[in-house]
Amino acid sequence: MEKESKLWGGRFEGGVYESVERFTESVSFEAEELWMHDIRGSLAHANMLATLGLITEWDRDQIIEGLSKIKKMIESGEFVWRKDREDVHMNIEAALTDMIGEPAKKLHTARSRNDQVVTDLRLWCRDAIDRILTRIKQLQVQLVLLALRNDGLIIPGYTHLQRAQPILLQHLLLSYVEQLQRDAGRLIDCKERLNFCPLGACALAGTGLPIDRLMTSQELAFTAPIRNSIDAVSDRDFVLELLSANSITAVHLSRLGEEWVLWASEEFGFVTPSDSVSTGSSIMPQKKNPDPMELVRGKSARVIGDLVSLLVLCKGLPSAYNRDLQEDKEPLFDSVKAIIGMLEVTSVFAANITFNHERIRSSLPAGYLDATTLADYLVKKGMPFRTSHEVVGRTVALCVAKKCQLSDLSLDDLWGINSIFEKDVYDFLGVENAVNKFTSYGSTGSAEVQKQLQFWCSKLEITNS
Amino acid sequence: MIHSTFAATAATAAAPSSLLGRWSWHPNPIFSHRRFHLPISRPLVLPCVALEISVQSGGAKGETEKESKLWGGRFEEKVNELVERFTESISFEAEELWMHDIRGSKAHANMLAAQGLMTEGDRDKIIEGLGVIKKKIESGKFVWRKDREDVHMNIEAALTDMIGEPAKKLHTARSRNDQVVTDLRLWCRDAVDRILTRIKQLQVQLVKLALRNDGLIIPGYTHLQRAQPVLLQHLLLSYVEQLERDAGRLTNCKERLNFSPLGACALAGTGLPIDRFMTSQELGFTAPLRNSIDAVSDRDFILELLAANSITAVHLSRLGEEWVLWASEEFGFAIPSDSVSTGSSIMPQKKNPDPMELVRGKSARVVGDLMSLLILCKGLPSAYNRDLQEDKEPLFDSVKTITQMLEVTSVFAANITFNHERIHTSLPAGYLDATTLADYLVKKGMPFRTSHEVVGRAVALCVAKKCQLSDLTLDDLCGINSIFEKDVYDFLGVDNAVNKFTSYGSTGSAEVQKQLQFWCSKLEITSSE
Repeated sequence: MEKESKLWGGRFEGGVYESVERFTESVSFEAEELWMHDIRGSLAHANMLATLGLITEWDRDQIIEGLSKIKKMIESGEFVWRKDREDVHMNIEAALTDMIGEPAKKLHTARSRNDQVVTDLRLWCRDAIDRILTRIKQLQVQLVLLALRNDGLIIPGYTHLQRAQPILLQHLLLSYVEQLQRDAGRLIDCKERLNFCPLGACALAGTGLPIDRLMTSQELAFTAPIRNSIDAVSDRDFVLELLSANSITAVHLSRLGEEWVLWASEEFGFVTPSDSVSTGSSIMPQKKNPDPMELVRGKSARVIGDLVSLLVLCKGLPSAYNRDLQEDKEPLFDSVKAIIGMLEVTSVFAANITFNHERIRSSLPAGYLDATTLADYLVKKGMPFRTSHEVVGRTVALCVAKKCQLSDLSLDDLWGINSIFEKDVYDFLGVENAVNKFTSYGSTGSAEVQKQLQFWCSKLEITNS
Repeated sequence: MIHSTFAATAATAAAPSSLLGRWSWHPNPIFSHRRFHLPISRPLVLPCVALEISVQSGGAKGETEKESKLWGGRFEEKVNELVERFTESISFEAEELWMHDIRGSKAHANMLAAQGLMTEGDRDKIIEGLGVIKKKIESGKFVWRKDREDVHMNIEAALTDMIGEPAKKLHTARSRNDQVVTDLRLWCRDAVDRILTRIKQLQVQLVKLALRNDGLIIPGYTHLQRAQPVLLQHLLLSYVEQLERDAGRLTNCKERLNFSPLGACALAGTGLPIDRFMTSQELGFTAPLRNSIDAVSDRDFILELLAANSITAVHLSRLGEEWVLWASEEFGFAIPSDSVSTGSSIMPQKKNPDPMELVRGKSARVVGDLMSLLILCKGLPSAYNRDLQEDKEPLFDSVKTITQMLEVTSVFAANITFNHERIHTSLPAGYLDATTLADYLVKKGMPFRTSHEVVGRAVALCVAKKCQLSDLTLDDLCGINSIFEKDVYDFLGVDNAVNKFTSYGSTGSAEVQKQLQFWCSKLEITSSE
């Protein structure tokens, strides 16, 4: 088949090898994601060119109409993406030329694919951030609703996966909400920082044609044009920042995933996911696995990998455009797709789990969860904390020997360790008592947690569970 | 590293099997009829009594009796020495964190006294004691003990040794969980400031370098192929822009991390009547963290700082790559001064731009530090897990490295000279004026795509004739397309080409002057020295 000559082929004498063409084409992975933004950018560019008299209004109208037809063809699935046309930009432009002829050849006036592609990417990232922010908020809402549905439920709090202190489940769920809030903050900062327009930087140096960069910037809703043309085409730091933010979110979700998988185990038995979010085994009939959360935990790996890919990609690259940069897209698209999937699935999972109140309650005594509260009791009686820590430590050792709980010890037992104990000690022992003894700001005490819940219900506009 | 030493010891110690108890060890795996047993199904911690490896226990002056641990109340056995070495953190964290730890403890003591949880007398003794410890550390007299595990327990135990009973009240309503993450946030806040200072210094040096090379045109590259002529100043300012965003990221990070964990205690808060707002304010935080579990769990502020450092490092690696290229014989654009170069121990002629090679190379460890922390945190349950102790070394390394990378790049920028002559002579090569010629045709009314094609053919002609575009005669040009006129020569040649750039942010002289004014004003630069 006769090869179409390349749009950049002016000085070239031979055609390109097919294997090279396959290695270097990008349309196969970028078309679906970028076509809409590419067309949007071209529309803005054409408008500006006409306004500045660089193309006629008739040319501009032809171009806009042609692009609109191409848009419909793509949406209906009729458009054929050609690898020999290499990338999304040249595919669209060549199709436009096929369709409207001469006016299409003016579209690329005062433009390079260098500034065109990075404009497309910034538009894509801006959208992507909005999509991620929406899902972060949805997950926060589901976590708060889950908390509201389990009011008053006390669970063991762990450090080192050893039972530490009793906490309200709500308090733990809200800690995830806080982390997600910071994740959202990072994305908002990123979006603000990336929202500057590269169009008009052309290849790297700008142009002598009388363009209006401010006009295209405004039409594309950027804050302003980028100040330096070399910077505009060189830098992918906005992608690095987005992927970093995604990685931190992914790590947060992997931690939540770890916990919920533990809770679903027989040994913990805190949580039962509904059938609609579980999977079975093809060989073991009894199995009911929390696969979605395992995959949430596991997909954090690829999100981190996407970031590493891009860091390594950019490392040591000279300024301005280098073809390596084509490799920025697949990690970017994958990272955003993965984090969105992770957020959505975690939301669905949170909406479909039930906590086993009975089982949790009967397991609560184990672990001496009231030990620190007992130490606080001694401090309130005037004992230095270090000493109280030691005293309670010995008390726990006694319980271990006697195979009982702290609240089972008699006053005689306690006096045998230290004479400061009084009858009121029993108000501090046992898990329910212990939880209610927490009073500091941000603690797990009921009143404090209620305040947190009110804060979040108000912020997230939640009215009922 | 402690644990790699530990691993090596376990694998290669020629310990007789009697000492290893239930594991048998055949030291000659090359004999296939013998089986090589490794205790792979058991943790590598060997029973207390078995191994007699001599370790530096860190106890004071040869004492062998172990001090009981501050957390040892319920414990009946002493800790195994190998475990102690594996798990201690004092060796890598003391120097960085002691100052913040003391600062945090002072604020905590002040608050406890204000809330009546300790007497003012106790508070005064604590503050005085901590002051003495501070001086000892500063003068190098303080002995850090590994058997006291970490910086927090070292300081507290030393305080107890010094003032006795009052010291035992310091840790009231506090856990190392909230203590350490408070220390870390204070450390990171300082670190961000230090990095921001150096970013600004580098921006200043780059602008000054630009001012010292006013008007110098160099080839601009894409794909490392000569693309269009650019003013050197324009390229240097592109780095300045990137550094500005790097600073923005750090500023956002600092704002986001500036919340106090103190008072979260182990994970759940406390019932003692503390005032979290008081300690938060005394330590210069914006407010206390809203959720105690979040407060002790999350290291996302470190992840964010390391990510910001990684992006800065990648920027510097790109600058490093370019400057190394420019220093090469083939490019010959820049000569670093002797004071920032290194020689070869065998080749007498060599003068290498090593500092910039290392700036480029050290980006690797900065990226690695981020990776370490991401992987560390992945899949960890909430609240505190001992894994988190491993957050410090990557953090300290990343900050140390980026700080140095910035400093060295500044010094290098202040000590290079550009070879104006050599660059000027080499400029014609590469048809750098080609796009400007295409613009000329567009201005004459030709569609851009067509002009691109036409100029492409003009370049092909130059390649055949081994000449520059400006060497072609009008007849040559009209032979390609009749639209060319005599005024075309105003657009050809590099100096003409540069001056044809007029768009906002372009490399045109007027535009670059505006950028320079912007930056001189922002960075408060008055001269190029």
